[in-house]
Amino acid sequence: MFFQQVYNWIRTLSPDVLTRGLRVALTLVIGLLIIRLLAVVVQRYLMKKSTLQRRMVVRKIISYSGFVLVAMAVLAELGVKLTALLGAAGIIGIAVGFASQTSVSNIISGLFLISEKPFAIGDVIRIGGTTGIIQSIDLLSIKIRTFDNLFVRIPNEKILSSDVTNITRFPIRRMDIVLQVDYGQDLGRVHDTLAVIARENPWSLDEPEPLILFNEFKESGIEMLFGLWFAKDDFLSLKNSIMKDISHRFAAERIRFAHPRRTVRTIVRDGLHS
Amino acid sequence: MRKSGIAVWETLDIPERRSAHWRFPLRSIWVERIDTEWHVFSQAEERHVSDASFTLVSRSRKPVSSRWRHYLQRDSGAIQPSPVLPDRPVVMRPDRALTLLPGQSTVFFLEIPVWFRLSTTGTRPTRIFEEPLAVLTRTWFGDPVTGELCWGLATRLHHALDSVSASADRAVCPLMIENDSEIDLEFQKICIHVENLSVFRGRGHLWTNSLHAVFRGPDQVTQIEIVHTPPGFEEHLVPVSEAREPSTGWNIRRTFGVLKYFTDF
Repeated sequence: MFFQQVYNWIRTLSPDVLTRGLRVALTLVIGLLIIRLLAVVVQRYLMKKSTLQRRMVVRKIISYSGFVLVAMAVLAELGVKLTALLGAAGIIGIAVGFASQTSVSNIISGLFLISEKPFAIGDVIRIGGTTGIIQSIDLLSIKIRTFDNLFVRIPNEKILSSDVTNITRFPIRRMDIVLQVDYGQDLGRVHDTLAVIARENPWSLDEPEPLILFNEFKESGIEMLFGLWFAKDDFLSLKNSIMKDISHRFAAERIRFAHPRRTVRTIVRDGLHS
Repeated sequence: MRKSGIAVWETLDIPERRSAHWRFPLRSIWVERIDTEWHVFSQAEERHVSDASFTLVSRSRKPVSSRWRHYLQRDSGAIQPSPVLPDRPVVMRPDRALTLLPGQSTVFFLEIPVWFRLSTTGTRPTRIFEEPLAVLTRTWFGDPVTGELCWGLATRLHHALDSVSASADRAVCPLMIENDSEIDLEFQKICIHVENLSVFRGRGHLWTNSLHAVFRGPDQVTQIEIVHTPPGFEEHLVPVSEAREPSTGWNIRRTFGVLKYFTDF
């Protein structure tokens, strides 16, 4: 029934309109196919060795400029005069430009980010209080996935004006653990125990050497910095195992952690407490 | 059935109702065939044994554990244990810092712990599993940005083969170094790209390809060359495993640590 109605409607159209409609449809289908094909060929064959980020940018450039060209071809086929349209677009562009200053700022920031390359897709970054893996870097924003699986979109303008920490930029990192031991401890023994813990942990690198630093005399004990180097992929394995190792080994060696305490002295004078 | 020493690396068939048990100084490995699966169990050796051995034991004597690994493979038949070199470069820290004076040359015999690889035999050998026979430390060689992750090993620098004891779990790597420069060649660490080396089996030792390096000074790029023929220190060597990443050599800059002239290290 429906197809019959469509067929009847088509029969009412003039041959000129029909030809034009067919040409528009063909332009759309072939144009979109070419864009898709071009994007695939460039990504898979010409940019095989490029980074994921660069490939994504090139794919978007091809797609967006391709869509514009196809749209222009379709409009020309429909008899719309492009010169007049472009003139109108210019005026509209100025108006839209004023109205979308933030977006323009984001786009320019995006271009700076793409050229500066402070991070790439797959890197783990920290911006403000957000830490996650970069999913995409676009002209307006970057998208990251946090470790508790949240999707966070951060505008490029904000990134450019914030401190960004790229956690996985370099292949190895140092994990700093701050410890406080009780004042009564033999610091030489504490130092040697930490050295053994680092040496025996399978995820800790023996080179660069672990850092063991007596930092400060604190209110309740001596503060130490225990810094262990590790390959960036081993963060969780090291973090979990080293905490257990420190706890077990300190217990075995009878090394006491510092904890807040107050010493109250009672002086007895003439049978009276003061 | 019992084998010891280098003979533990020979091809074998595991009869029904029997488990194969390899015992190395630091690790024990059990393998058995049940239906279409290889069952594998491995654990650190608690009582250190001096030499490697292989025995076929009754299944009732196999260890009871939930850590048995199962590998599905339809084709049964003979299996081939092979010693393979570790999957990353090995940084060897010699027991003493050594300086090679200008114009001098020397040969070191380095002992590299091997990994255990089990494969099927036949026209299309398939690797079943592989694992280290010794625990090596993780270490970094080079600067924190461009260096590489390696296995670390404290070792003795042997100048003569006589001082290298026969072993089934270590391969001997002959390293010839010539100092053809005007300066002292100091090194405290040697990074051996073992992934480029093959393993050969002799009568008492496992061997790797020989390495040859001529140091011409810190400004000259010097290659470590891999000699692809079996090392000539023992006759009738049999190739037992190929290099993971075949290569002709690598750059000396990636080899010696703490060279005072190589400031980028």
